[in-house]
Amino acid sequence: MIDHDVLVIGGGLSGLRAALEAKFSGADVAIISKVYPIRSHSGAAQGGINASLGSDDSWKAHALDTVKGSDYLADQDTVEILCREAPERVIEMENWGTNFSRKDDGTIAQRPFGGAGFPRTCYAGDRTGHNLLHTLYEQVLKNKIKVYSEWLVTKLLVENGKCAGSVALNTANSEMDAFRAKATILATGGYGRIYQRSTNAIINRGSGIALAYMAGVPLQDMEFVQFHPTTLWDTNILITEGARGEGGYLYNKDHERFMANYAADAMELAPRDIVARAIQTEIDERRGFPGGYVQLDITHLGKEKINKRLPGIRQISIDFAGIDPVQEPIPVQPGQHYSMGGVSSNKDGETPLPGLYAVGECACISVHGANRLGGNSLLDTVVFGKRAGGAAAEYVKTVENQADEILIDALKNEQQRIEEMMGEGGENFAELRDELRAIMQEYVGVFRNREKLEHAVEAIRELKERGKELRVKNNSSVFNFELMNAIELKGMLELGHVIALGALVREESRGAHYRTDFPERDDENWLKHTLACFKPKGPELDYREVTIDRFQPERRAY
Amino acid sequence: MVTLKIKRQDGDRTWFDHFEVEEKTGMTVLEALFHVQERQDGSLCFRYSCRGAVCGSCAMLINKVPRLACRTQVANVKDEADDEPKDGVAAVKQSEKDEDKNEILIEPLPNQKVIRDLIVDMDHFYSLVDSVRPWIDSQDREPEKVTLMEPSTQEQLERYTNCILCATCHGACPAAARDGNYLGPAALAKAWRFYLDPRSRDKDRDELLELLDSESGVWGCDVVYKCVAVCPKKVTPTPAILELRKKME
Ligand SMILES: Cc1cc2nc3c(=O)[nH]c(=O)nc-3n(C[C@H](O)[C@H](O)[C@H](O)COP(=O)(O)OP(=O)(O)OC[C@H]3O[C@@H](n4cnc5c(N)ncnc54)[C@H](O)[C@@H]3O)c2cc1C
Ligand code: SF4
Ligand code: FES
Repeated sequence: MIDHDVLVIGGGLSGLRAALEAKFSGADVAIISKVYPIRSHSGAAQGGINASLGSDDSWKAHALDTVKGSDYLADQDTVEILCREAPERVIEMENWGTNFSRKDDGTIAQRPFGGAGFPRTCYAGDRTGHNLLHTLYEQVLKNKIKVYSEWLVTKLLVENGKCAGSVALNTANSEMDAFRAKATILATGGYGRIYQRSTNAIINRGSGIALAYMAGVPLQDMEFVQFHPTTLWDTNILITEGARGEGGYLYNKDHERFMANYAADAMELAPRDIVARAIQTEIDERRGFPGGYVQLDITHLGKEKINKRLPGIRQISIDFAGIDPVQEPIPVQPGQHYSMGGVSSNKDGETPLPGLYAVGECACISVHGANRLGGNSLLDTVVFGKRAGGAAAEYVKTVENQADEILIDALKNEQQRIEEMMGEGGENFAELRDELRAIMQEYVGVFRNREKLEHAVEAIRELKERGKELRVKNNSSVFNFELMNAIELKGMLELGHVIALGALVREESRGAHYRTDFPERDDENWLKHTLACFKPKGPELDYREVTIDRFQPERRAY
Repeated sequence: MVTLKIKRQDGDRTWFDHFEVEEKTGMTVLEALFHVQERQDGSLCFRYSCRGAVCGSCAMLINKVPRLACRTQVANVKDEADDEPKDGVAAVKQSEKDEDKNEILIEPLPNQKVIRDLIVDMDHFYSLVDSVRPWIDSQDREPEKVTLMEPSTQEQLERYTNCILCATCHGACPAAARDGNYLGPAALAKAWRFYLDPRSRDKDRDELLELLDSESGVWGCDVVYKCVAVCPKKVTPTPAILELRKKME
């Protein structure tokens, strides 16, 4: 058994920031991650991180943009914290060594992003996530925080109404161990890979969200799935919003700048949900190019600017689509991008289960509501990562450890569960996974309606049944990826079910959740958060008020 | 169809397996490996994460050249000329690749211990990088203020902050092959990144130079630019090493 006061699950930005803060607050803290921390998905973030640094900008303006962008589903008290603490967190990252792009006067450069009234997005070229992630990892090294890399957490332990720790599998040898912790912080990222087309890393399977769900913690607002408007055709690697921020145009096959028909003022810089629907409509109504894409044209920015501001985008286009955006437009289509919903948690990352915290993309602290603005998610990871790390360190001073036997028993049960997944015959993970991803893409995508969603719920139910017969044929104990995939697939099936059901029941359109059969937002009935609780028969839905204080809901227009 | 000739290892046993994969346009070596792992042999193992050439997980030896599997197109390497050096790096020798074309030779990254198949033990590589104390110590700074930095300094730094620690360079380095203690291109490039950074303290810079002033430090480099040739992020370790040497002279 392994013992720590605070165990952070996940080595992306939110996990590293939480661990640092717990350490600064004097706790004995360790990080556990299924990949080496710097391989986390956070490193792929391109465009930037928001903070109202400008003298004519303010945290209130940032908050209004965020709330409006969220289609009024964000909790305004947590949004206030996000926007107020933003400058401090960004400046701190700068002090720790992040290589932010600079203005001529030496201060941090900022670019405009969709849905923002001010160029508020601080960036490091188009490799912002990479820079931030390496910076935090460097600080983790400096502060000598213990890291368990290449361990997959498979279960959270709940004892006497508290989270007592977790069980994890060492992927290098398939041995399992129990981790006892007075506080556990989930920082496991999103579930993008349950969709066929996703900008996310292949490892983003939402397993942390599923861990909490299976431990009885409610998931919040899971039906809100962000589709990024511009992902590279076919591979769905992200083409950052920064490309439009720097002045890129969108064209259909008739060379029309079609955004004029959808958001005449904001044009290409309307929020993501709006641009994604516009592109999907063009494709669906046959004004896209054969194969299903439109063009993102940045050729007019010129080689020098592209090399300076968007070098990564240029390289991605060359490597993965064989085109050079200095000369040719980039073929793009919408793809799943961000998980707005997640483990229900508050301003300090506390979940309803004492001892369990959740931050970053796996959490729903409710700052993004129905639609996240670009640049707010990296911010979310460092603002709430810090707060959760501090809160957890305080909390552990007040609780006792659980007895050894409880953890040893849990470990044995978990070992047995995994053992039972091994064997010949049965279902194969890759087939089930591909079917799930196809269902989510087709029926729970950019445009939804009752018929599609009912079909999805039914089809996922069937997949879950088949999932009980999942068998892992490979019995090698060293890096058994088939086993890891099978374990995580079980969680993916659960999440798919929650998303589809939540979307079916929510009979309105709000932010990224768009129902063609209910195209209007309905504040009277639906200005509320969805909560989904695990029940053996399927998720049970409940609802909760949205915190509204400063900004009253208005119609969203751009 | 394309054939992947993959070097396998389980404990002390090593062998080559051939797998046939249906080729799709635009298919990367990483995708081809997934085909094998998911449909033909679940025991084949290799690391991956982002599939977009940003995380640094999937470095391996492809046709004898260290590269990222997710960035390498099958079409570009399946009938790579056998005798032409690639980017100045040793190319595939006729005897090591089978005569017929349409075959890709895949092996684990050199200069590291193999754990199984294409997975190598990265701990040694990481410990070399960590040994240069790669971080900013912001103790004496005012945390509420940003450090002003010339855009040109920022750009100079960028070349080195782009490193994804994939160890491709380490796999190509003759000095690393010879001397297990040699810090290697990635660690030395990292050291230069922190030396250059205006946020580093003079005291740390002096200590750094002292630490690197040895045969397993900057003086171990053969100056053959192989690291520069293979780096997927256009980091240039060799010039960084030469700059560091200058600071010591
Ligand atoms: C391509 C792309 C570009 C983006 N660009 C931007 C941008 O410009 N600006 C912005 O604000 N946002 C951006 N985002 C969103 C943002 O990058 C993410 O939301 C954010 O990085 C998530 O960080 P995280 O710490 O929550 O999770 P991650 O970085 O995903 O880290 C999750 C960690 O959890 C670990 N883990 C997961 N499950 C387990 C388990 N069961 N056991 C052990 N470990 C586990 C993983 O190993 C990993 O270390 C982008 C997203 C994408 C897809
Ligand atoms: S210098 Fe280049 S090749 Fe070496 S580890 Fe860094 S990114 Fe990889
Ligand atoms: S999978 Fe991330 S670099 Fe190849």
